[in-house]
Amino acid sequence: MSAVTPRVVVPSRPRVRPGAVGLNLLTYAVAFLVFFPVLWTLLTAFKKEADAAATPPKFFFQATLSNFSTVFDAGYFTYFKNTVILAGGSTVLALVLGLPAAYSLAFNPSKHTPKVLSWVLSTKMLPAVGALIPLVVIYKRVGLFDTRLGMILLYAAFNLPLVIWMMRSFFADLPKEILEASIVDGAGFFRIMTRIVLPLTAPGLAATALLSLIFSWNEFLLAVNLTAANSGTLPVFISGFQTSEGLFFAKMSAASTLAVAPVILAGWLAQRSLVRGLTFGAVK
Amino acid sequence: MATPATQVDAGRWAFLRSQRMASIALLLPALAYLALMTQAPFVLTLWYGFHRWILTSPELGHAWIGLENFRYELTQDPIFRTAIKNTLEITASIVGGSLVIGLGLALLLNRTFPLRGVARSLMIAPFFVMPTVNAVVQKNLFLNPIFGLVNWFWTTLGFHRVDWLAVHPKFSIIAMAVWQWAPFMMLILLAGLQGISEEVREAARIDGAGPVTEFRRITLPLLGPYVELAVLLGMIYILQLFGEIFVATQGGPGTETTTIPYYVYQTISQANDVGTSSAQGVLAIVFSSIIAALLLRLLTRTFRKGLTA
Repeated sequence: MSAVTPRVVVPSRPRVRPGAVGLNLLTYAVAFLVFFPVLWTLLTAFKKEADAAATPPKFFFQATLSNFSTVFDAGYFTYFKNTVILAGGSTVLALVLGLPAAYSLAFNPSKHTPKVLSWVLSTKMLPAVGALIPLVVIYKRVGLFDTRLGMILLYAAFNLPLVIWMMRSFFADLPKEILEASIVDGAGFFRIMTRIVLPLTAPGLAATALLSLIFSWNEFLLAVNLTAANSGTLPVFISGFQTSEGLFFAKMSAASTLAVAPVILAGWLAQRSLVRGLTFGAVK
Repeated sequence: MATPATQVDAGRWAFLRSQRMASIALLLPALAYLALMTQAPFVLTLWYGFHRWILTSPELGHAWIGLENFRYELTQDPIFRTAIKNTLEITASIVGGSLVIGLGLALLLNRTFPLRGVARSLMIAPFFVMPTVNAVVQKNLFLNPIFGLVNWFWTTLGFHRVDWLAVHPKFSIIAMAVWQWAPFMMLILLAGLQGISEEVREAARIDGAGPVTEFRRITLPLLGPYVELAVLLGMIYILQLFGEIFVATQGGPGTETTTIPYYVYQTISQANDVGTSSAQGVLAIVFSSIIAALLLRLLTRTFRKGLTA
Protein backbone atom coordinates (compact mmCIF):
# COMPACT_ATOMS: atom_id res chain seq x y z
CA MET A 1 0.00 0.00 0.00
CA SER A 2 2.94 2.33 -0.61
CA ALA A 3 2.64 5.50 -2.65
CA VAL A 4 4.72 4.08 -5.49
CA THR A 5 2.38 1.17 -6.16
CA PRO A 6 1.60 1.28 -9.87
CA ARG A 7 -2.03 1.97 -10.60
CA VAL A 8 -3.45 -1.47 -10.96
CA VAL A 9 -6.99 -1.46 -12.17
CA VAL A 10 -8.78 -3.57 -9.64
CA PRO A 11 -12.12 -4.76 -10.94
CA SER A 12 -14.46 -3.18 -8.40
CA ARG A 13 -17.50 -4.83 -9.86
CA PRO A 14 -19.56 -6.36 -7.06
CA ARG A 15 -19.15 -10.08 -6.89
CA VAL A 16 -22.32 -11.88 -7.84
CA ARG A 17 -23.17 -13.51 -4.56
CA PRO A 18 -25.40 -16.51 -4.34
CA GLY A 19 -28.87 -15.23 -3.62
CA ALA A 20 -28.37 -11.96 -5.53
CA VAL A 21 -30.64 -13.16 -8.32
CA GLY A 22 -33.25 -14.16 -5.79
CA LEU A 23 -33.00 -10.75 -4.15
CA ASN A 24 -33.39 -9.09 -7.56
CA LEU A 25 -36.52 -11.09 -8.24
CA LEU A 26 -37.87 -10.18 -4.79
CA THR A 27 -37.19 -6.50 -5.53
CA TYR A 28 -39.10 -6.69 -8.82
CA ALA A 29 -42.00 -8.45 -7.12
CA VAL A 30 -42.13 -5.85 -4.33
CA ALA A 31 -41.92 -2.98 -6.82
CA PHE A 32 -44.82 -4.48 -8.77
CA LEU A 33 -46.84 -4.96 -5.59
CA VAL A 34 -46.24 -1.36 -4.45
CA PHE A 35 -47.27 -0.04 -7.85
CA PHE A 36 -50.18 -2.44 -8.26
CA PRO A 37 -52.97 -0.16 -6.89
CA VAL A 38 -52.04 2.46 -9.48
CA LEU A 39 -51.93 -0.14 -12.23
CA TRP A 40 -55.25 -1.67 -11.15
CA THR A 41 -56.92 1.75 -11.20
CA LEU A 42 -55.56 2.34 -14.70
CA LEU A 43 -56.87 -1.04 -15.89
CA THR A 44 -60.27 -0.52 -14.27
CA ALA A 45 -60.60 2.83 -16.02
CA PHE A 46 -60.79 0.95 -19.34
CA LYS A 47 -63.31 -1.66 -18.19
CA LYS A 48 -67.05 -1.77 -18.67
CA GLU A 49 -68.83 -1.24 -15.35
CA ALA A 50 -69.93 -4.88 -15.22
CA ASP A 51 -66.34 -6.06 -15.69
CA ALA A 52 -65.06 -3.55 -13.14
CA ALA A 53 -67.29 -4.98 -10.41
CA ALA A 54 -66.86 -8.62 -11.40
CA THR A 55 -65.87 -11.20 -8.81
CA PRO A 56 -63.48 -12.86 -9.28
CA PRO A 57 -61.73 -9.82 -10.69
CA LYS A 58 -61.15 -9.76 -14.42
CA PHE A 59 -57.55 -9.36 -15.49
CA PHE A 60 -58.43 -9.70 -19.20
CA PHE A 61 -61.34 -7.76 -20.65
CA GLN A 62 -62.56 -5.82 -23.64
CA ALA A 63 -61.26 -2.27 -23.28
CA THR A 64 -63.54 0.75 -23.66
CA LEU A 65 -62.98 4.50 -23.62
CA SER A 66 -66.57 5.29 -22.67
CA ASN A 67 -65.73 5.93 -18.98
CA PHE A 68 -63.49 8.82 -19.92
CA SER A 69 -66.19 10.48 -22.03
CA THR A 70 -68.74 10.00 -19.23
CA VAL A 71 -66.37 11.61 -16.77
CA PHE A 72 -65.82 14.57 -19.07
CA ASP A 73 -69.59 14.97 -19.42
CA ALA A 74 -69.84 15.09 -15.62
CA GLY A 75 -67.98 18.41 -15.55
CA TYR A 76 -64.54 16.94 -15.10
CA PHE A 77 -62.94 19.46 -17.41
CA THR A 78 -63.93 22.48 -15.24
CA TYR A 79 -62.21 20.91 -12.24
CA PHE A 80 -59.21 19.93 -14.32
CA LYS A 81 -58.90 23.47 -15.68
CA ASN A 82 -59.20 24.93 -12.17
CA THR A 83 -56.52 22.59 -10.89
CA VAL A 84 -54.12 23.52 -13.71
CA ILE A 85 -54.73 27.24 -13.17
CA LEU A 86 -54.38 27.06 -9.38
CA ALA A 87 -51.29 24.85 -9.44
CA GLY A 88 -49.66 26.84 -12.25
CA GLY A 89 -50.59 30.27 -10.93
CA SER A 90 -49.49 29.55 -7.39
CA THR A 91 -46.20 28.03 -8.56
CA VAL A 92 -45.41 31.10 -10.69
CA LEU A 93 -46.22 33.43 -7.80
CA ALA A 94 -44.16 31.37 -5.36
CA LEU A 95 -41.20 31.48 -7.76
CA VAL A 96 -41.53 35.23 -8.37
CA LEU A 97 -41.41 35.88 -4.63
CA GLY A 98 -39.13 33.01 -3.66
CA LEU A 99 -36.29 33.21 -6.21
CA PRO A 100 -35.09 36.71 -5.18
CA ALA A 101 -35.32 35.67 -1.54
CA ALA A 102 -33.33 32.50 -2.17
CA TYR A 103 -30.76 34.51 -4.12
CA SER A 104 -30.41 36.96 -1.27
CA LEU A 105 -30.07 34.21 1.36
CA ALA A 106 -27.59 32.17 -0.67
CA PHE A 107 -25.28 34.90 -1.95
CA ASN A 108 -25.48 37.55 0.75
CA PRO A 109 -25.80 35.52 3.93
CA SER A 110 -25.70 37.51 7.14
CA LYS A 111 -25.65 36.43 10.75
CA HIS A 112 -29.46 36.45 10.64
CA THR A 113 -29.68 34.02 7.71
CA PRO A 114 -30.07 30.83 9.78
CA LYS A 115 -32.81 32.49 11.83
CA VAL A 116 -34.64 33.70 8.73
CA LEU A 117 -34.43 30.27 7.12
CA SER A 118 -35.61 28.61 10.28
CA TRP A 119 -38.59 30.97 10.53
CA VAL A 120 -39.48 30.41 6.86
CA LEU A 121 -39.49 26.70 7.46
CA SER A 122 -41.52 26.95 10.65
CA THR A 123 -44.41 28.48 8.66
CA LYS A 124 -44.57 25.20 6.73
CA MET A 125 -44.72 23.08 9.85
CA LEU A 126 -47.75 24.46 11.57
CA PRO A 127 -50.86 22.56 10.60
CA ALA A 128 -53.01 24.17 7.93
CA VAL A 129 -56.01 23.40 10.10
CA GLY A 130 -54.75 26.05 12.54
CA ALA A 131 -55.09 28.72 9.86
CA LEU A 132 -58.28 27.37 8.35
CA ILE A 133 -60.98 29.12 10.39
CA PRO A 134 -59.84 32.74 9.84
CA LEU A 135 -59.28 31.97 6.18
CA VAL A 136 -62.88 30.78 5.81
CA VAL A 137 -64.21 33.81 7.71
CA ILE A 138 -62.03 36.39 5.94
CA TYR A 139 -62.29 34.91 2.46
CA LYS A 140 -66.07 35.00 2.72
CA ARG A 141 -65.97 38.59 3.90
CA VAL A 142 -63.59 39.97 1.26
CA GLY A 143 -65.05 38.01 -1.64
CA LEU A 144 -62.13 35.63 -2.15
CA PHE A 145 -64.18 32.57 -1.14
CA ASP A 146 -64.49 30.13 -4.02
CA THR A 147 -62.30 32.19 -6.33
CA ARG A 148 -59.25 31.00 -8.24
CA LEU A 149 -57.33 34.11 -7.18
CA GLY A 150 -57.93 33.37 -3.51
CA MET A 151 -56.62 29.83 -3.86
CA ILE A 152 -53.60 30.93 -5.93
CA LEU A 153 -52.66 33.45 -3.21
CA LEU A 154 -52.90 30.76 -0.54
CA TYR A 155 -51.11 27.95 -2.35
CA ALA A 156 -48.31 30.35 -3.28
CA ALA A 157 -47.79 31.12 0.40
CA PHE A 158 -47.79 27.42 1.27
CA ASN A 159 -45.19 26.64 -1.44
CA LEU A 160 -42.99 29.65 -0.75
CA PRO A 161 -40.93 27.97 2.00
CA LEU A 162 -40.23 25.06 -0.35
CA VAL A 163 -39.04 27.41 -3.12
CA ILE A 164 -36.87 29.46 -0.76
CA TRP A 165 -35.22 26.48 0.92
CA MET A 166 -34.73 24.35 -2.15
CA MET A 167 -33.48 27.11 -4.46
CA ARG A 168 -31.22 28.49 -1.74
CA SER A 169 -29.58 25.09 -1.46
CA PHE A 170 -29.13 24.88 -5.26
CA PHE A 171 -27.74 28.44 -5.43
CA ALA A 172 -25.34 27.78 -2.56
CA ASP A 173 -23.88 24.87 -4.55
CA LEU A 174 -22.76 27.19 -7.37
CA PRO A 175 -19.06 28.06 -7.50
CA LYS A 176 -18.66 31.50 -5.93
CA GLU A 177 -16.06 32.64 -8.52
CA ILE A 178 -18.60 32.77 -11.34
CA LEU A 179 -20.79 35.16 -9.38
CA GLU A 180 -18.02 37.33 -8.09
CA ALA A 181 -16.74 37.81 -11.63
CA SER A 182 -20.09 38.99 -12.89
CA ILE A 183 -20.68 41.25 -9.88
CA VAL A 184 -17.31 42.89 -10.55
CA ASP A 185 -18.43 43.32 -14.17
CA GLY A 186 -21.25 45.43 -12.76
CA ALA A 187 -24.13 43.07 -13.61
CA GLY A 188 -27.28 43.64 -11.54
CA PHE A 189 -29.61 41.11 -9.93
CA PHE A 190 -31.74 40.50 -13.03
CA ARG A 191 -28.79 39.97 -15.35
CA ILE A 192 -26.99 37.67 -12.93
CA MET A 193 -30.20 35.75 -12.27
CA THR A 194 -31.33 35.27 -15.88
CA ARG A 195 -27.91 34.94 -17.53
CA ILE A 196 -25.92 32.98 -14.97
CA VAL A 197 -27.71 31.64 -11.92
CA LEU A 198 -30.92 30.26 -13.40
CA PRO A 199 -29.32 28.61 -16.46
CA LEU A 200 -26.84 26.87 -14.16
CA THR A 201 -29.53 25.67 -11.75
CA ALA A 202 -32.17 24.88 -14.37
CA PRO A 203 -32.66 21.22 -13.31
CA GLY A 204 -33.09 22.32 -9.71
CA LEU A 205 -35.52 25.04 -10.71
CA ALA A 206 -37.53 22.53 -12.74
CA ALA A 207 -37.66 20.10 -9.83
CA THR A 208 -38.73 22.86 -7.44
CA ALA A 209 -41.48 23.98 -9.78
CA LEU A 210 -42.67 20.41 -10.28
CA LEU A 211 -42.83 19.76 -6.53
CA SER A 212 -44.74 22.98 -6.00
CA LEU A 213 -47.15 21.97 -8.79
CA ILE A 214 -47.62 18.55 -7.23
CA PHE A 215 -48.38 19.89 -3.75
CA SER A 216 -50.90 22.42 -5.06
CA TRP A 217 -52.44 19.85 -7.38
CA ASN A 218 -53.07 17.36 -4.57
CA GLU A 219 -54.03 19.78 -1.76
CA PHE A 220 -57.40 18.97 -0.24
CA LEU A 221 -58.09 20.52 3.19
CA LEU A 222 -58.08 24.13 2.02
CA ALA A 223 -59.68 23.27 -1.31
CA VAL A 224 -62.66 21.50 0.23
CA ASN A 225 -63.26 24.30 2.73
CA LEU A 226 -62.62 27.33 0.54
CA THR A 227 -63.94 26.35 -2.87
CA ALA A 228 -67.29 25.40 -4.33
CA ALA A 229 -68.61 25.30 -7.88
CA ASN A 230 -66.40 28.06 -9.29
CA SER A 231 -62.91 27.10 -8.26
CA GLY A 232 -63.20 23.48 -7.12
CA THR A 233 -60.15 21.33 -7.85
CA LEU A 234 -59.72 17.67 -8.80
CA PRO A 235 -59.24 16.40 -5.24
CA VAL A 236 -62.63 17.93 -4.42
CA PHE A 237 -64.21 16.42 -7.55
CA ILE A 238 -62.79 12.98 -6.73
CA SER A 239 -63.95 13.16 -3.12
CA GLY A 240 -67.50 13.25 -4.52
CA PHE A 241 -67.14 9.54 -5.39
CA GLN A 242 -67.64 8.60 -1.76
CA THR A 243 -70.71 6.48 -1.65
CA SER A 244 -70.15 2.89 -2.55
CA GLU A 245 -73.58 2.36 -4.02
CA GLY A 246 -74.26 1.58 -7.64
CA LEU A 247 -71.91 0.62 -10.39
CA PHE A 248 -69.46 3.41 -10.86
CA PHE A 249 -66.08 1.77 -10.25
CA ALA A 250 -64.92 2.19 -13.84
CA LYS A 251 -65.93 5.85 -14.06
CA MET A 252 -64.35 6.53 -10.68
CA SER A 253 -61.16 4.86 -11.90
CA ALA A 254 -61.18 6.89 -15.11
CA ALA A 255 -61.53 10.14 -13.14
CA SER A 256 -58.80 9.00 -10.73
CA THR A 257 -56.45 8.04 -13.54
CA LEU A 258 -56.82 11.42 -15.21
CA ALA A 259 -56.23 13.20 -11.90
CA VAL A 260 -53.20 11.19 -10.89
CA ALA A 261 -51.35 10.48 -14.15
CA PRO A 262 -49.97 14.02 -14.68
CA VAL A 263 -48.68 14.10 -11.10
CA ILE A 264 -46.95 10.73 -11.27
CA LEU A 265 -45.28 11.77 -14.55
CA ALA A 266 -44.22 15.10 -13.01
CA GLY A 267 -42.93 13.28 -9.95
CA TRP A 268 -40.86 10.90 -12.06
CA LEU A 269 -39.40 13.89 -13.91
CA ALA A 270 -38.46 15.56 -10.61
CA GLN A 271 -37.05 12.31 -9.16
CA ARG A 272 -33.42 13.38 -8.96
CA SER A 273 -34.09 16.36 -6.72
CA LEU A 274 -37.02 14.84 -4.90
CA VAL A 275 -35.18 14.04 -1.68
CA ARG A 276 -33.71 17.52 -1.51
CA GLY A 277 -37.17 19.00 -1.95
CA LEU A 278 -38.83 16.76 0.62
CA THR A 279 -36.18 17.42 3.24
CA PHE A 280 -35.84 21.15 2.50
CA GLY A 281 -32.30 20.72 1.25
CA ALA A 282 -31.06 18.86 4.34
CA VAL A 283 -30.39 15.74 2.28
CA LYS A 284 -28.80 16.21 -1.13
CA MET B 1 -3.34 46.85 -16.08
CA ALA B 2 -2.11 46.37 -12.52
CA THR B 3 -4.67 47.82 -10.16
CA PRO B 4 -3.48 49.04 -6.77
CA ALA B 5 -4.76 46.74 -4.06
CA THR B 6 -6.21 49.56 -1.95
CA GLN B 7 -8.44 50.69 -4.80
CA VAL B 8 -9.89 47.20 -5.21
CA ASP B 9 -10.61 47.00 -1.50
CA ALA B 10 -12.38 50.35 -1.37
CA GLY B 11 -14.51 49.33 -4.35
CA ARG B 12 -15.42 46.06 -2.72
CA TRP B 13 -16.60 47.72 0.49
CA ALA B 14 -18.76 50.27 -1.33
CA PHE B 15 -20.35 47.49 -3.31
CA LEU B 16 -21.02 45.53 -0.13
CA ARG B 17 -22.94 48.39 1.46
CA SER B 18 -25.28 48.75 -1.48
CA GLN B 19 -25.36 44.96 -1.66
CA ARG B 20 -26.72 44.76 1.90
CA MET B 21 -29.65 47.03 1.01
CA ALA B 22 -30.27 45.17 -2.24
CA SER B 23 -30.28 41.82 -0.49
CA ILE B 24 -32.86 43.04 2.02
CA ALA B 25 -35.00 44.39 -0.79
CA LEU B 26 -34.89 40.99 -2.51
CA LEU B 27 -35.76 39.13 0.68
CA LEU B 28 -38.45 41.33 2.16
CA PRO B 29 -41.37 40.77 -0.23
CA ALA B 30 -41.26 37.01 0.30
CA LEU B 31 -41.03 37.32 4.08
CA ALA B 32 -43.83 39.88 4.25
CA TYR B 33 -46.05 37.72 2.07
CA LEU B 34 -45.38 34.65 4.21
CA ALA B 35 -46.15 36.56 7.39
CA LEU B 36 -49.40 37.93 5.98
CA MET B 37 -50.73 34.72 4.48
CA THR B 38 -49.56 32.15 7.01
CA GLN B 39 -48.83 33.89 10.31
CA ALA B 40 -51.67 36.38 10.45
CA PRO B 41 -54.29 33.61 10.25
CA PHE B 42 -52.68 31.83 13.21
CA VAL B 43 -52.92 34.99 15.29
CA LEU B 44 -56.55 35.38 14.28
CA THR B 45 -57.24 31.74 15.14
CA LEU B 46 -56.03 32.45 18.65
CA TRP B 47 -58.14 35.64 18.80
CA TYR B 48 -61.28 33.84 17.59
CA GLY B 49 -60.60 31.11 20.13
CA PHE B 50 -61.36 33.57 22.93
CA HIS B 51 -64.85 34.25 21.56
CA ARG B 52 -68.26 32.65 21.43
CA TRP B 53 -69.05 32.98 17.75
CA ILE B 54 -71.45 30.73 15.85
CA LEU B 55 -71.99 31.65 12.22
CA THR B 56 -75.56 30.38 12.10
CA SER B 57 -76.57 32.30 15.27
CA PRO B 58 -75.63 35.90 14.47
CA GLU B 59 -77.89 37.11 17.30
CA LEU B 60 -75.31 35.82 19.79
CA GLY B 61 -72.74 38.17 18.27
CA HIS B 62 -69.18 37.33 19.10
CA ALA B 63 -68.67 37.79 22.77
CA TRP B 64 -65.29 37.57 24.50
CA ILE B 65 -65.39 34.52 26.77
CA GLY B 66 -61.72 34.27 27.67
CA LEU B 67 -60.37 30.75 28.01
CA GLU B 68 -63.79 29.09 28.11
CA ASN B 69 -63.44 27.39 24.70
CA PHE B 70 -60.02 26.04 25.61
CA ARG B 71 -61.22 24.90 29.03
CA TYR B 72 -64.18 23.09 27.46
CA GLU B 73 -62.08 21.38 24.80
CA LEU B 74 -59.39 20.22 27.22
CA THR B 75 -61.53 19.15 30.15
CA GLN B 76 -65.06 18.46 28.95
CA ASP B 77 -65.38 17.69 25.26
CA PRO B 78 -65.18 13.87 25.05
CA ILE B 79 -64.84 13.92 21.26
CA PHE B 80 -61.80 16.17 21.37
CA ARG B 81 -60.10 13.75 23.72
CA THR B 82 -60.92 10.89 21.41
CA ALA B 83 -59.61 12.96 18.53
CA ILE B 84 -56.29 13.53 20.31
CA LYS B 85 -56.01 9.85 21.08
CA ASN B 86 -56.91 8.85 17.51
CA THR B 87 -54.52 11.39 16.01
CA LEU B 88 -51.63 10.10 18.11
CA GLU B 89 -52.45 6.45 17.45
CA ILE B 90 -52.97 6.89 13.74
CA THR B 91 -49.93 9.15 13.26
CA ALA B 92 -47.61 6.92 15.27
CA SER B 93 -48.79 3.80 13.44
CA ILE B 94 -48.41 5.37 10.01
CA VAL B 95 -44.97 6.78 10.80
CA GLY B 96 -43.82 3.48 12.31
CA GLY B 97 -45.32 1.31 9.57
CA SER B 98 -44.02 3.39 6.71
CA LEU B 99 -40.60 3.69 8.34
CA VAL B 100 -40.20 -0.08 8.61
CA ILE B 101 -41.53 -0.77 5.11
CA GLY B 102 -39.58 2.20 3.72
CA LEU B 103 -36.38 0.82 5.24
CA GLY B 104 -37.10 -2.55 3.62
CA LEU B 105 -37.65 -0.89 0.23
CA ALA B 106 -34.50 1.22 0.63
CA LEU B 107 -32.40 -1.84 1.48
CA LEU B 108 -33.73 -3.64 -1.60
CA LEU B 109 -32.88 -0.66 -3.79
CA ASN B 110 -29.46 -0.01 -2.26
CA ARG B 111 -27.77 -2.57 -4.50
CA THR B 112 -26.66 -2.59 -8.10
CA PHE B 113 -28.99 -4.66 -10.25
CA PRO B 114 -30.56 -4.39 -13.70
CA LEU B 115 -33.62 -2.10 -14.04
CA ARG B 116 -32.89 -0.45 -10.69
CA GLY B 117 -34.24 2.88 -11.98
CA VAL B 118 -37.52 1.31 -13.04
CA ALA B 119 -37.95 -0.42 -9.69
CA ARG B 120 -37.26 2.86 -7.87
CA SER B 121 -39.74 4.75 -10.06
CA LEU B 122 -42.47 2.19 -9.45
CA MET B 123 -41.84 2.28 -5.70
CA ILE B 124 -42.08 6.06 -5.37
CA ALA B 125 -45.28 6.39 -7.42
CA PRO B 126 -47.70 6.05 -4.46
CA PHE B 127 -46.30 9.20 -2.89
CA PHE B 128 -47.63 11.30 -5.78
CA VAL B 129 -51.15 9.90 -5.71
CA MET B 130 -53.52 12.54 -4.36
CA PRO B 131 -54.91 11.53 -0.95
CA THR B 132 -58.53 11.66 -2.10
CA VAL B 133 -57.81 9.34 -5.04
CA ASN B 134 -55.93 7.00 -2.71
CA ALA B 135 -58.93 6.85 -0.39
CA VAL B 136 -61.58 6.57 -3.09
CA VAL B 137 -59.69 3.81 -4.93
CA GLN B 138 -58.77 1.83 -1.81
CA LYS B 139 -62.26 2.14 -0.42
CA ASN B 140 -64.01 0.94 -3.56
CA LEU B 141 -61.65 -1.18 -5.64
CA PHE B 142 -59.79 -2.77 -2.77
CA LEU B 143 -61.72 -2.66 0.51
CA ASN B 144 -65.32 -2.86 -0.73
CA PRO B 145 -66.81 -5.79 1.18
CA ILE B 146 -68.44 -7.38 -1.90
CA PHE B 147 -66.49 -6.31 -4.97
CA GLY B 148 -63.14 -5.42 -3.42
CA LEU B 149 -59.92 -7.11 -4.43
CA VAL B 150 -58.78 -7.57 -0.84
CA ASN B 151 -61.80 -9.65 0.09
CA TRP B 152 -61.50 -11.69 -3.08
CA PHE B 153 -57.95 -12.54 -2.02
CA TRP B 154 -59.02 -13.01 1.62
CA THR B 155 -61.82 -15.44 0.78
CA THR B 156 -59.55 -17.28 -1.68
CA LEU B 157 -57.28 -17.92 1.29
CA GLY B 158 -60.30 -19.47 3.00
CA PHE B 159 -61.28 -16.65 5.38
CA HIS B 160 -64.68 -15.03 5.73
CA ARG B 161 -65.53 -11.74 4.06
CA VAL B 162 -64.66 -8.67 6.15
CA ASP B 163 -66.13 -5.19 5.85
CA TRP B 164 -62.71 -3.68 6.46
CA LEU B 165 -63.69 -0.02 6.78
CA ALA B 166 -66.56 -0.82 9.16
CA VAL B 167 -64.81 -3.41 11.32
CA HIS B 168 -61.21 -2.18 11.20
CA PRO B 169 -61.55 1.51 10.27
CA LYS B 170 -58.34 2.63 11.95
CA PHE B 171 -56.32 -0.16 10.47
CA SER B 172 -57.75 0.56 7.01
CA ILE B 173 -56.83 4.24 7.20
CA ILE B 174 -53.37 3.37 8.50
CA ALA B 175 -52.82 0.83 5.71
CA MET B 176 -53.86 3.37 3.05
CA ALA B 177 -51.53 6.01 4.41
CA VAL B 178 -48.63 3.62 4.91
CA TRP B 179 -48.85 2.73 1.21
CA GLN B 180 -48.55 6.43 0.47
CA TRP B 181 -45.82 7.31 2.98
CA ALA B 182 -43.50 4.30 2.80
CA PRO B 183 -41.98 5.70 -0.44
CA PHE B 184 -41.29 9.00 1.34
CA MET B 185 -39.38 7.21 4.10
CA MET B 186 -37.69 5.02 1.49
CA LEU B 187 -36.33 8.04 -0.40
CA ILE B 188 -34.76 9.64 2.68
CA LEU B 189 -33.36 6.36 4.03
CA LEU B 190 -31.99 5.40 0.61
CA ALA B 191 -30.10 8.69 0.48
CA GLY B 192 -28.68 7.82 3.90
CA LEU B 193 -27.71 4.29 2.87
CA GLN B 194 -25.91 5.61 -0.18
CA GLY B 195 -23.91 7.92 2.04
CA ILE B 196 -22.36 4.99 3.94
CA SER B 197 -18.99 4.39 2.33
CA GLU B 198 -18.18 1.00 0.93
CA GLU B 199 -14.85 1.16 2.77
CA VAL B 200 -16.54 1.13 6.16
CA ARG B 201 -18.60 -1.89 5.16
CA GLU B 202 -15.54 -3.61 3.72
CA ALA B 203 -13.63 -3.01 6.95
CA ALA B 204 -16.47 -4.54 8.95
CA ARG B 205 -16.57 -7.56 6.66
CA ILE B 206 -12.83 -8.06 6.92
CA ASP B 207 -13.24 -7.99 10.71
CA GLY B 208 -15.62 -10.88 10.26
CA ALA B 209 -19.01 -9.17 10.48
CA GLY B 210 -21.86 -11.09 8.88
CA PRO B 211 -24.74 -9.32 7.10
CA VAL B 212 -26.80 -9.10 10.31
CA THR B 213 -23.96 -7.65 12.39
CA GLU B 214 -23.09 -5.28 9.56
CA PHE B 215 -26.68 -4.04 9.48
CA ARG B 216 -26.94 -3.64 13.27
CA ARG B 217 -23.51 -2.21 13.98
CA ILE B 218 -22.78 -0.21 10.80
CA THR B 219 -25.91 0.53 8.80
CA LEU B 220 -28.38 1.39 11.54
CA PRO B 221 -26.12 3.71 13.59
CA LEU B 222 -24.94 5.60 10.51
CA LEU B 223 -28.53 5.83 9.33
CA GLY B 224 -29.57 7.42 12.64
CA PRO B 225 -29.79 11.08 11.58
CA TYR B 226 -31.74 10.11 8.47
CA VAL B 227 -34.22 8.08 10.50
CA GLU B 228 -34.64 11.04 12.84
CA LEU B 229 -35.25 13.39 9.91
CA ALA B 230 -37.67 10.99 8.22
CA VAL B 231 -39.66 10.44 11.41
CA LEU B 232 -39.95 14.13 12.32
CA LEU B 233 -40.82 15.28 8.79
CA GLY B 234 -43.23 12.39 8.42
CA MET B 235 -44.94 13.29 11.69
CA ILE B 236 -45.37 16.93 10.65
CA TYR B 237 -47.14 15.90 7.46
CA ILE B 238 -49.01 12.87 8.74
CA LEU B 239 -50.44 14.73 11.75
CA GLN B 240 -52.34 16.72 9.12
CA LEU B 241 -53.84 13.64 7.45
CA PHE B 242 -57.30 14.66 6.29
CA GLY B 243 -58.26 13.58 2.74
CA GLU B 244 -58.17 9.87 3.48
CA ILE B 245 -60.40 10.24 6.52
CA PHE B 246 -62.78 12.65 4.81
CA VAL B 247 -63.34 10.23 1.93
CA ALA B 248 -62.97 6.77 3.43
CA THR B 249 -64.58 6.95 6.87
CA GLN B 250 -65.74 10.51 7.57
CA GLY B 251 -64.33 10.11 11.02
CA GLY B 252 -66.45 7.08 11.72
CA PRO B 253 -67.87 4.68 12.43
CA GLY B 254 -68.88 6.79 15.42
CA THR B 255 -65.73 8.68 16.27
CA GLU B 256 -63.35 5.75 15.62
CA THR B 257 -61.26 7.67 13.09
CA THR B 258 -62.03 11.27 14.07
CA THR B 259 -58.67 13.02 14.19
CA ILE B 260 -57.97 16.63 15.22
CA PRO B 261 -57.95 18.02 11.66
CA TYR B 262 -61.19 16.17 10.86
CA TYR B 263 -62.85 17.30 14.09
CA VAL B 264 -61.94 20.93 13.40
CA TYR B 265 -63.43 20.53 9.93
CA GLN B 266 -66.63 19.10 11.44
CA THR B 267 -66.89 21.84 14.03
CA ILE B 268 -66.62 24.61 11.46
CA SER B 269 -68.51 23.08 8.54
CA GLN B 270 -71.30 21.30 10.41
CA ALA B 271 -71.66 23.21 13.68
CA ASN B 272 -70.50 26.52 12.13
CA ASP B 273 -68.83 27.18 15.46
CA VAL B 274 -65.96 29.62 14.82
CA GLY B 275 -64.95 30.00 18.48
CA THR B 276 -64.75 26.32 19.36
CA SER B 277 -63.12 25.25 16.10
CA SER B 278 -60.53 28.02 16.49
CA ALA B 279 -59.69 26.83 19.99
CA GLN B 280 -59.25 23.32 18.58
CA GLY B 281 -57.05 24.74 15.84
CA VAL B 282 -54.88 26.51 18.40
CA LEU B 283 -54.44 23.28 20.34
CA ALA B 284 -53.51 21.49 17.11
CA ILE B 285 -50.86 24.16 16.53
CA VAL B 286 -49.50 23.64 20.03
CA PHE B 287 -49.12 19.88 19.49
CA SER B 288 -47.45 20.34 16.12
CA SER B 289 -45.14 23.05 17.41
CA ILE B 290 -43.54 20.65 19.83
CA ILE B 291 -42.57 18.35 16.98
CA ALA B 292 -41.72 21.26 14.70
CA ALA B 293 -39.31 22.65 17.30
CA LEU B 294 -37.45 19.34 17.42
CA LEU B 295 -37.35 19.17 13.63
CA LEU B 296 -36.15 22.74 13.24
CA ARG B 297 -33.30 22.11 15.62
CA LEU B 298 -32.28 19.10 13.58
CA LEU B 299 -32.52 20.93 10.26
CA THR B 300 -30.68 24.00 11.53
CA ARG B 301 -27.93 21.71 12.71
CA THR B 302 -27.56 20.17 9.25
CA PHE B 303 -27.82 23.64 7.73
CA ARG B 304 -24.97 24.95 9.90
CA LYS B 305 -22.90 21.93 9.05
CA GLY B 306 -23.57 22.62 5.39
CA LEU B 307 -22.31 26.17 5.84
CA THR B 308 -18.99 25.18 7.39
CA ALA B 309 -18.36 22.16 5.18
